[in-house]
Amino acid sequence: MKNNVMRRMLSVSLAAAMVVSLSACGPKETEQAEKQEMDVTLDQIKLGEDYTDIEADLKFLTHKTDVVDTTFKGYIEEFQKLYPNINIEYEGITDYANDITTRLTTGDWGDICMVPTNVDKDELENYFTKLGDKGTLAENYEENMLNNFAYQDAVYGVPSMANVQGVIYNKAVFEEAGITELPKTPEEFLDALEAIKEKTDAIPLYTNFAAGWTMTAWDAYIDGGATGDPDFVNTGLTKGKDPFADRGDGTGPFAVYNTLYEAVKRGLTEDDPTTTDWEGSKGRLNNGEIGCMALGSWSVIQIQQAGSNADDIGYMTFPITVDGKQYAAAGPDYNYGINCNSSRDNQIAAMCYIKWLVEKSGFAQGEGGLSIVKGDEYPEALQALEGIELVVNSPAAAGEENLFNDVNNDSELGINVSGAVPTQIVEEAVSGNKTMEELAAEWNEKWTAAQESNGVEF
Amino acid sequence: MSNQKSLKAWVQSGKVNRKLCIFTFMLVPVALLVIFTYIPFIKMIGFSFYDMKYIGDREFVGLQNYVEVFTRKDCFQALKLSLYYIAASFIQLGLALYFASVLSFRVKGSGVFKGLMFFPYLVCGIAVGFIFKFFYTRGFVLDTVLQWCGFNLEQLPYWLKDTSINNISVAATSIWRYMGQGMVMFIGAIMSVDASLYEAGDIDGANSFQKFIYIILPNIKTIIVLNMILSITGSLSVFEPPYVITGGDFGTGTYFVIMNRLAHESQKVGLASAMAVVLLILIMIATLIQKGIEKYYFGVGETESIREVRKRKKRLEAEARGGAQ
Repeated sequence: MKNNVMRRMLSVSLAAAMVVSLSACGPKETEQAEKQEMDVTLDQIKLGEDYTDIEADLKFLTHKTDVVDTTFKGYIEEFQKLYPNINIEYEGITDYANDITTRLTTGDWGDICMVPTNVDKDELENYFTKLGDKGTLAENYEENMLNNFAYQDAVYGVPSMANVQGVIYNKAVFEEAGITELPKTPEEFLDALEAIKEKTDAIPLYTNFAAGWTMTAWDAYIDGGATGDPDFVNTGLTKGKDPFADRGDGTGPFAVYNTLYEAVKRGLTEDDPTTTDWEGSKGRLNNGEIGCMALGSWSVIQIQQAGSNADDIGYMTFPITVDGKQYAAAGPDYNYGINCNSSRDNQIAAMCYIKWLVEKSGFAQGEGGLSIVKGDEYPEALQALEGIELVVNSPAAAGEENLFNDVNNDSELGINVSGAVPTQIVEEAVSGNKTMEELAAEWNEKWTAAQESNGVEF
Repeated sequence: MSNQKSLKAWVQSGKVNRKLCIFTFMLVPVALLVIFTYIPFIKMIGFSFYDMKYIGDREFVGLQNYVEVFTRKDCFQALKLSLYYIAASFIQLGLALYFASVLSFRVKGSGVFKGLMFFPYLVCGIAVGFIFKFFYTRGFVLDTVLQWCGFNLEQLPYWLKDTSINNISVAATSIWRYMGQGMVMFIGAIMSVDASLYEAGDIDGANSFQKFIYIILPNIKTIIVLNMILSITGSLSVFEPPYVITGGDFGTGTYFVIMNRLAHESQKVGLASAMAVVLLILIMIATLIQKGIEKYYFGVGETESIREVRKRKKRLEAEARGGAQ
């Protein structure tokens, strides 16, 4: 018995000793690395002329795990022809959105990353290097694409490419179902899906429910695309009263979400949403087993490459018409950001690489996205959209940069983050427990509560 | 003076030497435990008093997060799902005990069976999730097998969509995964039973069932109790199966899945930390109650159960009283 007590005492004191010794060295290690002030900006660098002898080893965190060893390797080789002494090591992260926020907090994660969307704007300067003033950068880049990570006119992230939010569909399936004109309103769209269900063997609309993140595509339609108003995200959503209520004219968030609700309720989607398979769905859309899917324009290339029927794949705007006109929401994809704790040389080298990626690599076109460089052409996959007015969300007013994120987080609706709203729509449409109106009222209630706790006044 | 020894001799002396041994051997595991379990845990308790995100300022809010945990509907609603997993864990323990006692007697090919049944435990939880996602997909493995047995596809439910059975489907995967582990633990315990007891049983003419009830069961009591505690606490904190198979949708979101959602999707790190602390306390309470019941009814290890002791005491007292009068 005594022996036992002794042993316990010892182990406890050991543990205590460990804690003390660890905490003794704790503060020194957790202290934030010294922030390196930068005087160089992205626009000042002339590619291939400035800093060509700079030496640096860069670490690049990316979400594009599929092309780390292929496309990106090619980029490094090309880039090193101009900057032979800059080495770049890519690290692909599978669960990027989750992992990156945790790693950022350490300050020691590498040199370049794709800026996670949930960093508050006033926090940007603590983690990322200022890449330039918005006005100056806008001479070369599309100004409204630079807003996502700009705070008080300083830009901390440059988009790798821009996406358009529409619906990807199989032309052959639409033709077989006798749809000659692309649907322009939610009713026409649902009719088209009914026609596909009746006349073909294809699944009219595949939700990709199980993958989770794919459902956020529905959130991306609700602002600019569904209203034609670039300010809707600020005035209508963030500060508007009951943004999810039915507007009665087939536009706005309700019309978008109701389309999904009706499609699921009428059985125009796959049988069992819980077991959808994202990787498999690409091939099935390609070979005509699926009629259409709600995905951003980045998906076009992937789906064209997923089978032998690349020519059948088309891309259309989300079927909402505002005052007789169709709009498509466009916005930046992931942005490149540079670690402000890296050494000066590393930061400059990183800027050179980012600039090269944006302007010279052809990454955006290769991925089927829009380039943010002024005057660059639409990629082939999206030429059908030429002529349709793209709506890019306006930046929030000064002092309200974080308001949308705050309301979004507090309401737990996770718009553009988790796909919680479309997920709930599918669940309720399947079970039939709640009508779309009841759901909308619920979201409005949560949204209003979150608005109130963040000081929004109507 | 003669009592003073050199340092070397002091170190080599039995008592010190032994402590030094323990100390050095413990150093690495304790260090790992502290760094990866206790420090993060203490940090988490700290976080639970703040309104915070992963990135950005934090604001001290006192007990507000805890109040919210108890007032939110979804948190404790999710704990009800644990009942499915507790039921599953009892089925799993029963099966494990059954196979363990069968396989610990001389059975042909018992090694192969043991290996096969233990194997699922070695597969990583995420992989198990993906296996069962396809297993339950409409028209895939399970449906095909049931169709061989004469079912029509129309008669079969959607295993993961139908909210009346999807929790059972998901909980069943953990039976499949952990049964082998329980079995191996039971086999180990049964092996350690003194063989002379079986001989004595044979001489008294006990059959296999009686041997199981009167020899094996009392001897492996401790390990059964341990397994039960582990499965109940495990049931309260299920994460992998629902997270991977259904993502917690269609009413399969367990406490941990909800917690993960709040922390990662809504960035409510403080609230999620508070949820974790509340669950820890719940698990501790559950374990204590279980331990208490064990002690009262069955006794732990060599010690007798409290109930037996009291009964005897009463009897003795009664006898003593009877004797006195």
